[in-house]
Amino acid sequence: MTHAAPTARALIADPVSGDTPVPEAKLEAVFNDIRSHPLYDQELYGCLNCGICTATCPSAHYYDYSPREIVQLLWTENLEGIYDAMQEKIWACAQCYTCAARCPFHNSPGGLVMIMREVAIKHSMQSAKDALRPFTRVLLKVISTGNQLAPNMITKDAFPDWGPNVSKIDAPLDLLRKAIPVPTLHTMDTAWVVNLKTSVELYTIWEATGVLDQLEQVDENLFDVISDVMDEKREEYQEWLDEQDN
Amino acid sequence: MENTKQPTGAFTGFGPEWRATSLTPTEARTATAWVETKIDRRSMLTGKERVEDVREAMWELERDGEIVVHRIRDEHEPVIARTLYGWEKRIPTNNLWHHKSCGQCGNIPGYPSSVMWLMNELGIRYLDETDQTSCTAWNYHGSGIGNVVSLAAVFLRNFHQAYVSAKAQGLPEGTYFPLIHCGTSFGNYKEMRHYLVHSAELREQVRKILAKLGRLVDGKLLIPEELVHYSEWLHVMRGRIAERQKIDCSQIRATVHPACHVYKMVPEDVIYDETVMDGNRVAVSTGLLQSLGAQVIDYSTWYDCCGFGFRHIIGEREFTRSFAIDRKIRVAVDEAKADVMIGHDTGCITTLDKNQWIGRAVDKVYELPVMADCQFAALLLGAHPYKLAQLHWHASPFEKLLEKLGIDWEKAKAEFESYLKEVAAGRGENLYDPRRAITSGPGYVPPAALTQGGAE
Repeated sequence: MTHAAPTARALIADPVSGDTPVPEAKLEAVFNDIRSHPLYDQELYGCLNCGICTATCPSAHYYDYSPREIVQLLWTENLEGIYDAMQEKIWACAQCYTCAARCPFHNSPGGLVMIMREVAIKHSMQSAKDALRPFTRVLLKVISTGNQLAPNMITKDAFPDWGPNVSKIDAPLDLLRKAIPVPTLHTMDTAWVVNLKTSVELYTIWEATGVLDQLEQVDENLFDVISDVMDEKREEYQEWLDEQDN
Repeated sequence: MENTKQPTGAFTGFGPEWRATSLTPTEARTATAWVETKIDRRSMLTGKERVEDVREAMWELERDGEIVVHRIRDEHEPVIARTLYGWEKRIPTNNLWHHKSCGQCGNIPGYPSSVMWLMNELGIRYLDETDQTSCTAWNYHGSGIGNVVSLAAVFLRNFHQAYVSAKAQGLPEGTYFPLIHCGTSFGNYKEMRHYLVHSAELREQVRKILAKLGRLVDGKLLIPEELVHYSEWLHVMRGRIAERQKIDCSQIRATVHPACHVYKMVPEDVIYDETVMDGNRVAVSTGLLQSLGAQVIDYSTWYDCCGFGFRHIIGEREFTRSFAIDRKIRVAVDEAKADVMIGHDTGCITTLDKNQWIGRAVDKVYELPVMADCQFAALLLGAHPYKLAQLHWHASPFEKLLEKLGIDWEKAKAEFESYLKEVAAGRGENLYDPRRAITSGPGYVPPAALTQGGAE
């Protein structure tokens, strides 16, 4: 008989497991980061366990996920349960905010999930790294340009399940883009042409708000790549500024 | 009396404590009818405490000298609409700054082009420029990378640019008022406005960042008077749009997919209208379709999301496509017998449009044209399906819809393919002068009239 790798649940609460449980101090540190989040008190007011959030939750149709459970874990300060939910469940939420719109208490389970995701990233949890791996191209694009999506990211190879009709006109992508009657859309590397000055301004926001630190927590290689891109664009912008002075 | 009915075991996923109710089909229908009654009314959205009109707190902050509000002025020709609680919302209709959507521009380019084309048709002045970023909220909701400070700073940086943009044309600050294309940007910015108005600490954090960028007005944060989604502009303009209609759509059965981030995030700011589905549905898109004469068909899963999921459409597509087919497309086809599904947000249109083909793999063959309200309206006003509405980027079978509308799509497609030769030769057509798109930084060329001391 072979033993599977211990799951996070086993590490937390399995009484017969010989593995080291997650230390209480770690559980408390995670919860304190959640509870001290600036939005926490605006997302959680109480809970009657009515379950209307779960009844209307799209993710509850397909995953072992319940917004009611998330709210209850936080409301009752169930530290082990909170930590456990952060290993997988929080990444099931579709962020539609149907739960928030419906909750009679005005809770926002979807908002609480976002707080927990932020904290999962801060603590470099493996679940965050796994969940974000497919997001690498998007993160590279949005942080380095300020534009999340680019036409050249949407190809038949990248989305084979979308079928053969990614475009129903057989022509080169750059030509099809130029045939859009909106001049700012005549590009393939970003959704619209983003001014170099604009991207450089965005880098200041990323640095001042800890977004690059978050990125480094979950993907050091991507952080290095993006740092290089930012340096290059800043140099390019500085050169343009110098030209204006001359 | 002891319940002798046996559990069906038909449901899973609600934890070990769950037990089947064992209702008879009649009893189940009775219970469900009560829920549906509640769902059909907007009581679930309105019966709450702690609801406030954040704009009142915003005006107070301005009176206290904390912030500056980008006013809607006469030149914006505002039209008053009513929101969920009957509050007034002033929708600017002219001199608008297009705040674009990354998903629309990257994937559904006929979406922004249709909005701008409609504005050209109606003689509306606008600015579409390059000095703007995505709201970055799609990324945040998908990945968790980002935070309230970064989202708030991005929001106010973009809208400061909207405020000062007219200076590039020698016009006064505030001439152009921001119009938000993306539903997620709309919802996210409304959340950020709420947090900014209520947190002095957040305002100070953002103020320091925007000071570094030179993005303050008199040393203060600038917040727009209203946050306005393009669908709200369409809604208040629907009468003027219908006046220019050239194609009859009275035979079209249209379903509407209301977007979660448009009306479930900060629902108190969303337009409801007693003349649109008795005020039981968000008014935008449905009101436009009614004005254009389409048959708007209600369906049981109208309240459900599309399945986009933000990270799911990229990393867990099985969820996205299953939900899109099972909960939206299938119901619209089987139950509503729809000819088209109309949306008003980026991710929904993408999800519902692109995830039909894969259903063939599991014998769920459903075909339903999916497009944005503005594209449908533009078509009815005579816009070219390919050159302007750019329908060739849609995977769903829009050709059937065009045939029902009496539009010869094969002829139009041939025209577009011929037009591509003109584009290749550098003779493409644009909706506005490309020189207007750069207002500062690399590439900006001040208009001649401005360098000579006058306005453009």
